[in-house]
Amino acid sequence: MVIFATRLFYLQIIKHNDYVAQAAAEQIKPLTIPAKRGLIYAMDGTSPVPLVINQTVYTMFADPSTVNEESKVLSTIRQVAGGNLRPNLEDLLSRRESRYQILGTQLTRQQAELIKKQNLTGIGFQEESQRVYPEGSLASQTLGFVNTEGKGQYGIEQSLNDRMTGHDGLLKSVTDVSGVPLTIGNQNINKPAQNGDNIALTIDRNIQAYTEKALAAGLQHSHAPNGSVVVMDPQSGKVLAMANLPTYDPSQYNKVTDASAFDNPIVSTPYEPGSDIKTFTMATGLDKGVVTPDSTYNNTDSIKIGDRTITNATKGQTGNITFQHALNYSLNTGFVTVEERLGDGTDINDQSRNTMYDYFHNHFGFAQNTGIEVAGEAPGIIIPPTSADGNAVRYSNMAFGQGLDITMIQVASGFSALVNGGTYYQPTVVGGTVDDSGNLNPAPLKAPRRGVITAATSATIHDMIHTARQAFYAKQDKAGYDIGGKTGTSQTLVNGQYVDNQTVATYLGYGGDVTSAKYVIMVQVSGPGLNLQGNLDALPIFTNVSNWLIDYLKLQPKG
Amino acid sequence: MSYQTTTQFYSHRRQASWNRNQNTVAFVSSVKLGPVAHTALVALMITVLGLVYLTQATRATSYDYEAQKIDSQIADLSTKKSDLEVENARLTALETVQNSNVAKAMTAPAATDYAH
Repeated sequence: MVIFATRLFYLQIIKHNDYVAQAAAEQIKPLTIPAKRGLIYAMDGTSPVPLVINQTVYTMFADPSTVNEESKVLSTIRQVAGGNLRPNLEDLLSRRESRYQILGTQLTRQQAELIKKQNLTGIGFQEESQRVYPEGSLASQTLGFVNTEGKGQYGIEQSLNDRMTGHDGLLKSVTDVSGVPLTIGNQNINKPAQNGDNIALTIDRNIQAYTEKALAAGLQHSHAPNGSVVVMDPQSGKVLAMANLPTYDPSQYNKVTDASAFDNPIVSTPYEPGSDIKTFTMATGLDKGVVTPDSTYNNTDSIKIGDRTITNATKGQTGNITFQHALNYSLNTGFVTVEERLGDGTDINDQSRNTMYDYFHNHFGFAQNTGIEVAGEAPGIIIPPTSADGNAVRYSNMAFGQGLDITMIQVASGFSALVNGGTYYQPTVVGGTVDDSGNLNPAPLKAPRRGVITAATSATIHDMIHTARQAFYAKQDKAGYDIGGKTGTSQTLVNGQYVDNQTVATYLGYGGDVTSAKYVIMVQVSGPGLNLQGNLDALPIFTNVSNWLIDYLKLQPKG
Repeated sequence: MSYQTTTQFYSHRRQASWNRNQNTVAFVSSVKLGPVAHTALVALMITVLGLVYLTQATRATSYDYEAQKIDSQIADLSTKKSDLEVENARLTALETVQNSNVAKAMTAPAATDYAH
């Protein structure tokens, strides 16, 4: 009796904690409740529509050692899920030494249920979630994709990965032999999963789709392989469309051979934008009060800066001409002159370079990340006047858009400030979140920077840009609207030298009604070894999108 | 006219206490239980309590299975809902709409009137 009592005492008192721990290890199972990744919506007017959604799919596997009706298995799965199966099914099922062979992937729920009903021994299913893109490759370089580890790559998927991932929940509970959680016990934990945010983009799917088509048509016309178009609302900084070619299908991202297709060049590829930058140089001169549209200078089609001579691409507009005239004909000499007048009027000195740097970098936001929510944004570069390379020649080139590397999103955002009254809105592609009922909760507005140029300067440059477009291309626009724009044709560097036979075509413009500018469009077309012109290769794409937008936005004409 | 006042005085505390509890009944059972009967009764009570506990525990577990069934149904319906959302998104995608018979039958307006 004493031995018995002693043994009981040992087991129940002394070893109590050990056995409780062993029992808990066997009976209590932690189950992860996976959080759902947030969806991505675009706008269709004022309603959110899904661009990226989740779908449950199934991987079908076999344990060949237990499959006993091979012919029935083969006929059933081929009948139900023919397109999702591996090609060598007989070979996979004959590997009797293996316990796990994948027979098919991405089966739908209906397919999986039909096969399950047949009670095929040795056949199992593994559930997983995959991203589905109902609009195909629409805005793919803005969206990015989710890799096999469930991590967002490129675009919104990468930049907002944390917000969209959510947090897995935990269910820790005593389970029965088949794993069913039971409420008995006092160590149960039930922490619900917190799903990721559903993100609503500012991208309008109709504008995006039309812009992509217009870009494709434009590139086909120019026989150019690369092009980008960004459409923005200048009154808010919201990006309405970002189209790039070549592009890719995010549902087939693993088949892409050139990873550069994943980048969004509008935010990640700085370049020398060319003559469209003259609008910024002019705005700087206007804002500092050193020039007006009607001020004149003596154009000789060339101007000497240091040991370099800068010439005009368009010759013959010589004599005393106005700066409006210089803008209409995109004369380099005019804007080098503006740059000189920012200093002592005869030379590009420290004062003029400092002023231009201040406006370009600090006022217009060039050569710094805009903070747009698309992964891979590159700041580009503007050589500061304090650098040895920031000399007069450099700054004379910058006056007409060469010698600086900046992105399209920087230029379009700065341009919005030029035409909207002088307010810089940080560009954004995130319009808010969408709740489970499909309602849009708008994102708080980012604080704008007011007065980057004065309202008077903005009004003047707005009119100058309008006049510059109307001088040659008025007939291309719908009558009764306020459309303005500026071409850009920039040389590119090949082996450290600027060349004329490989140029990048750009067009930068706005459109609106009598009240204000309603959209800003920037177009870029390029290709190795191609001599492309802003007015021939980029402008038609702008015009196409602009005329369509007037109808889509239901803008009313004058009169 | 004169009134006579009557006042009761108790001679001591014991008499007062007795009066307050005068309805108290002292019951003395005529059945006498021995130690074996006591033990059997206690065992019976423990058994009944055990059965009550087991009934409750079993009932709780059966609720767990019910809850599990409902959870499975919810998960199944949620998957079906997701599938329908995917199908809905595909059917309302721009490409699908543009290629629909309705869209093909549409004509461009000849003129637009603006309300000024």
